[in-house]
Amino acid sequence: MHAHGIGAGLPSGFEGRIFKRQGNGIEVTNAVAQFATFGLPEEVGDFGGGAVQLMGNNDIFAVLFEYGAESIGTRLFAHQGMPRELATADFQPQVLRRGITGQAGTQWFFTESGRPFTFYAVIGSHARRSVLVPRVNQLLAGLTVEPAPAPAGSGAPWN
Amino acid sequence: MVALCVVLGAVVLLLAVLVAGLLRSHADILKALHDLGAGVGDPVGESGHDHAASGRDSGQVAVPLTMGPALAPDRDSTSAPAVVGVTPTGDALAVAPASSGGLTLLAFLSTGCASCAGFWEAFRRPDHLGLPAAARLVVVTKGPEREIAGEVAALAAPGLRVLMSSDAWTDYEVPGSPFFVLVDGTAGRRIGEGVANQMSQVAELVRRAEVDATAFSLDTRPGRDVGLDGPQRESANDAELLAAGVLPGDPSLYPKSLEDLYGPPDARMPSATRHVRRVG
Repeated sequence: MHAHGIGAGLPSGFEGRIFKRQGNGIEVTNAVAQFATFGLPEEVGDFGGGAVQLMGNNDIFAVLFEYGAESIGTRLFAHQGMPRELATADFQPQVLRRGITGQAGTQWFFTESGRPFTFYAVIGSHARRSVLVPRVNQLLAGLTVEPAPAPAGSGAPWN
Repeated sequence: MVALCVVLGAVVLLLAVLVAGLLRSHADILKALHDLGAGVGDPVGESGHDHAASGRDSGQVAVPLTMGPALAPDRDSTSAPAVVGVTPTGDALAVAPASSGGLTLLAFLSTGCASCAGFWEAFRRPDHLGLPAAARLVVVTKGPEREIAGEVAALAAPGLRVLMSSDAWTDYEVPGSPFFVLVDGTAGRRIGEGVANQMSQVAELVRRAEVDATAFSLDTRPGRDVGLDGPQRESANDAELLAAGVLPGDPSLYPKSLEDLYGPPDARMPSATRHVRRVG
């Protein structure tokens, strides 16, 4: 699957979507890619609100969230490149945005192909992290990010 | 008289040449069909008859006959592969019905087919579809190379999950639209498929499948009612008995015979008889 400069070769059992929220004319929206091993509801918050509550012990939810161009070069996004190999120790219950008993999460900020992102993943059971984290790594291995297209008007002037 | 005989002879000769030409043409056609594998019996099984070789020998080009794309070796009639495509607005969407954990109804629709129009309209009133709340509806049209995304977007109701993917039509061997496939995400396989003309027919199919899935499911996802067990079950039973006026120590809790459970035989028969009379 591919959209908005993000590609994903999904491992078996994963589903997902890559989209941009509808803008309001003032706020600029960026790409959001969500992936899950369970049926994603139609309405899901950017970081899994409305979805993580549905997770079973063997489920995974992950999101690749793009920030605005103003974040490029900031210290938070100084790390270059998406993490491709996470360790079981990277997943901790206290990292969860929504503290659901038994679950564990991880979050990384980085710049990939000149675009600032965060990758946030939740596993359904911290106790089963040795089984679930390799599946997250499978997902990460299939993610690709293309450089952002040049903004309109940035080319050479005609006159 | 002589002239007439000459003319008749010429006509007969001409007809003989025409018949010979037709017979030769017919033989050539039969030979070509035989080389293409359309002969009587199984030409593949005939030894010493290599189609490609015979084609090369005679200077003809062998034309392969194919009936359509073959399914992957790991696919069968009940497999439910992921559906990957784009939405009418250009977003990417992938649905994995076999691992979703619930029922997924894939509705293969087109923008141009008259029979599909009723379903596009019905999907604008999701509360009146008659589908179980747990069932997920996904409309699948052919990809942007075969359908106009703007037309799909115009027909799709707000909030309706629509996915454009020609590959999905191939994967699910969809013969035409409208076509529906029901996938049980707990069992990881498709449990029903077919053509329907009305939404009520589809809803009935899904409802029956949900009853079966609930009855035989061992799924343990949170939020799914899997019944009570242990102390919770005992507490629930106590609450039911109290509500019915059965207190602790009630004799009915300690039956010693069938009569204690069902009453004396004389008392049971009349009720059965009355039931039969009412029915009759």
